[in-house]
Amino acid sequence: MILGLALVISILFGCGAFLLLKRDLIRMAGGVILISNAANLFIVAAGLSRGREPIYPLPPGERISDPVVQALVLTAIVIGFGTVAVLLGLIYRTYTARIARAVDQGEETEGTPVSMPPEDRVAD
Amino acid sequence: MSMSTILTKVISRLIFLPTFVTAVAILVKGYFGAGDGFSAGVIAGTGVVIQFLAFGPRELFARYPSLRRAPLLAWSGLLLGLATAFAPVLWGDPIMTHYPRPGEEVPHLGLLAFHTAVLFDAAVFLLVFGMIVSVLGAIGNRYGSEGVDS
Amino acid sequence: MLLLLPLAITWFGAVALAPFDGRRRAVGAVAVGVMVAAFIALVRLGIEVWTSGPVEMVAGDWPAGIGIRLRADALGIAFALISLGVLLAALAYEVLGGVHERSLPSLVLFMSTGLTGVFLTADIFNFYVFFEIAMISSFVLATYGAQVGHLRAALTFMVVNLLGSVVFLAGVASLYHVTGTLDMMGVADRVDGAPAGSVLLIAVLIFVAFGLKLGLFPFHSWVPLVYRDTWPAVAAMLSAALANIGSYGLLRFGAGLMPRELSLTAGGLIVIGSLSIIYGAVQAISPRTASEVIAWSSIGQVGYILVALGVGGPVGLAAAVLYSIINSLNKLVLFLAVGLRGWLVGAAFALAAFSVAGVPPSAGFFGKVAIFRAGADADSTALLALVFVGGALSLIYLFRIYQRDYWARNHATPPSPLGARVLVLALACGIVFIGLWPEPLLALSASAAAALTGGGS
Repeated sequence: MILGLALVISILFGCGAFLLLKRDLIRMAGGVILISNAANLFIVAAGLSRGREPIYPLPPGERISDPVVQALVLTAIVIGFGTVAVLLGLIYRTYTARIARAVDQGEETEGTPVSMPPEDRVAD
Repeated sequence: MSMSTILTKVISRLIFLPTFVTAVAILVKGYFGAGDGFSAGVIAGTGVVIQFLAFGPRELFARYPSLRRAPLLAWSGLLLGLATAFAPVLWGDPIMTHYPRPGEEVPHLGLLAFHTAVLFDAAVFLLVFGMIVSVLGAIGNRYGSEGVDS
Repeated sequence: MLLLLPLAITWFGAVALAPFDGRRRAVGAVAVGVMVAAFIALVRLGIEVWTSGPVEMVAGDWPAGIGIRLRADALGIAFALISLGVLLAALAYEVLGGVHERSLPSLVLFMSTGLTGVFLTADIFNFYVFFEIAMISSFVLATYGAQVGHLRAALTFMVVNLLGSVVFLAGVASLYHVTGTLDMMGVADRVDGAPAGSVLLIAVLIFVAFGLKLGLFPFHSWVPLVYRDTWPAVAAMLSAALANIGSYGLLRFGAGLMPRELSLTAGGLIVIGSLSIIYGAVQAISPRTASEVIAWSSIGQVGYILVALGVGGPVGLAAAVLYSIINSLNKLVLFLAVGLRGWLVGAAFALAAFSVAGVPPSAGFFGKVAIFRAGADADSTALLALVFVGGALSLIYLFRIYQRDYWARNHATPPSPLGARVLVLALACGIVFIGLWPEPLLALSASAAAALTGGGS
């Protein structure tokens, strides 16, 4: 079980890291999502025991699942959800800022790629 | 690749209300007895997102104008959650103490339990649902009236 | 009740101010008032901790090992005071200069909430939650100004810190797995019984996560990019307040929870710290814009904190705490001064520059003395030489900025608003004041270090 989880976590993390390095910002966001989900699976794998559900009355003599890990994963998923929402909002803002700047400079706005803006000095 | 065929429109309109019923059911009683505000909020938000994808932002907000108030909904959810967490401090108990205390009788109305944990989960539900719809409202204006075109 | 007061004030203040337009002066003034109230509550809590020892509360009225424990001890209070103070000053600076975006006051209050929670909790997962609150607020703050360059910097900042958070989360989950508890004191007790190799691996994961946040040498590449392109007040907030999470995390998780691993890796920490100092200083001397020089300077300064941590023991840990606090103050004044023009600003910048270099009578002198004493404690002449060389290099690169931007005065640019300039000068005078009367700060860092080595966590 642990081996299976470890394999899945590593595959997720690898795919996420690959996507993270792409130019297209949406793919980069996808990479972030995959990596954060790999971390969530890692928390699940860190549970202390696996067995029956941890609700009273407990069946005697059987292993019970660790409930703390469930709570940790839920919190981590919610935090990841919020973070990805902010990231997507930021990507959207970058896109509209580039469109606005292209309009100011009289350039063509069709087909502006959703990618990292080129490096230029910000006027202080 | 427009997503607003007649089939998607009809199905979306049909499942809008059942989505909310499912969300409230999960909020109150969860999958095996414990409730969860977060998944309820996400399911309710997904219901609105499906409408958005099928009909586009202008038609969505024209049909359900109360959805424009979503930021306020999120804000009140946050305030309710904070109040539920910090209120016990006012009378000396530690933060996030729930009433009735463990071991005491919990008053029920059918399946609905009157417990501060349900109040807190409702706050989380409002916050998550409000957030999803606010994001739709904020970025939705970019796209045209006929659904989302790739 | 007293323990929760700063947290409650900032949190409710943040939520209450969120619907309003932060660009209006009234809203900005209310936000500054809320932060002042929170700071006063924190000082009151600090006095309580100073006189009667750590203050604790377990959330939800659960027993101590089961519920989330909130704990205020000298280390947490010291960092909370400096972080909240820095955020208060930066917010006041921005309100005086005119706020550009409607969400700024609320965001700064949310960041204060996250920071206060980070420093006042004794549960490793609760630490992660408040850490994320502060980080998400800082991601949005980094976009302040909303020019394309700002957004680019914010994206870089965000993705790098997300990676750091993921690594930290993995470390926390592993720590739970080997010790079976999330409570910091429980972890400190049980970590000796865990397999030594696993704990070493966890220590490395946590070091990487916090090193990324601080901008230490191998993980520093995002720092110049981000600080160059963000708004000065926001750069001050990020550098001075957020980097404190990194120092506090290393101190708490390293010296507090895993002291055996800390002493094992002490040599490596000192090497990495020294590399940071030298690399940061050398890169800062190359011709760059002012913000970039200060960014490279902060890479160098956090190297000193790591060196002090590596030396360890009560002297080394007290030096690390003292240096973190003084570094935050210095960076605050430097970044705020860079954004201003006018008569008093050059003086403020010069005072802060003297403090970074460690020239008496500024506060930085005592920071350098503490590191010097830690190096003497470790019988290491290389460390002592490093302190001198680092100080000399920082004098060079900071006064190059002074010469270029303030000495050869460009009369074409109009002076900035008087209020902001007076604020920055007052802060710089505060640095000198601490340099003339360092006893309270020295006592605070000594007791903070004692909180780590004496009572476990």
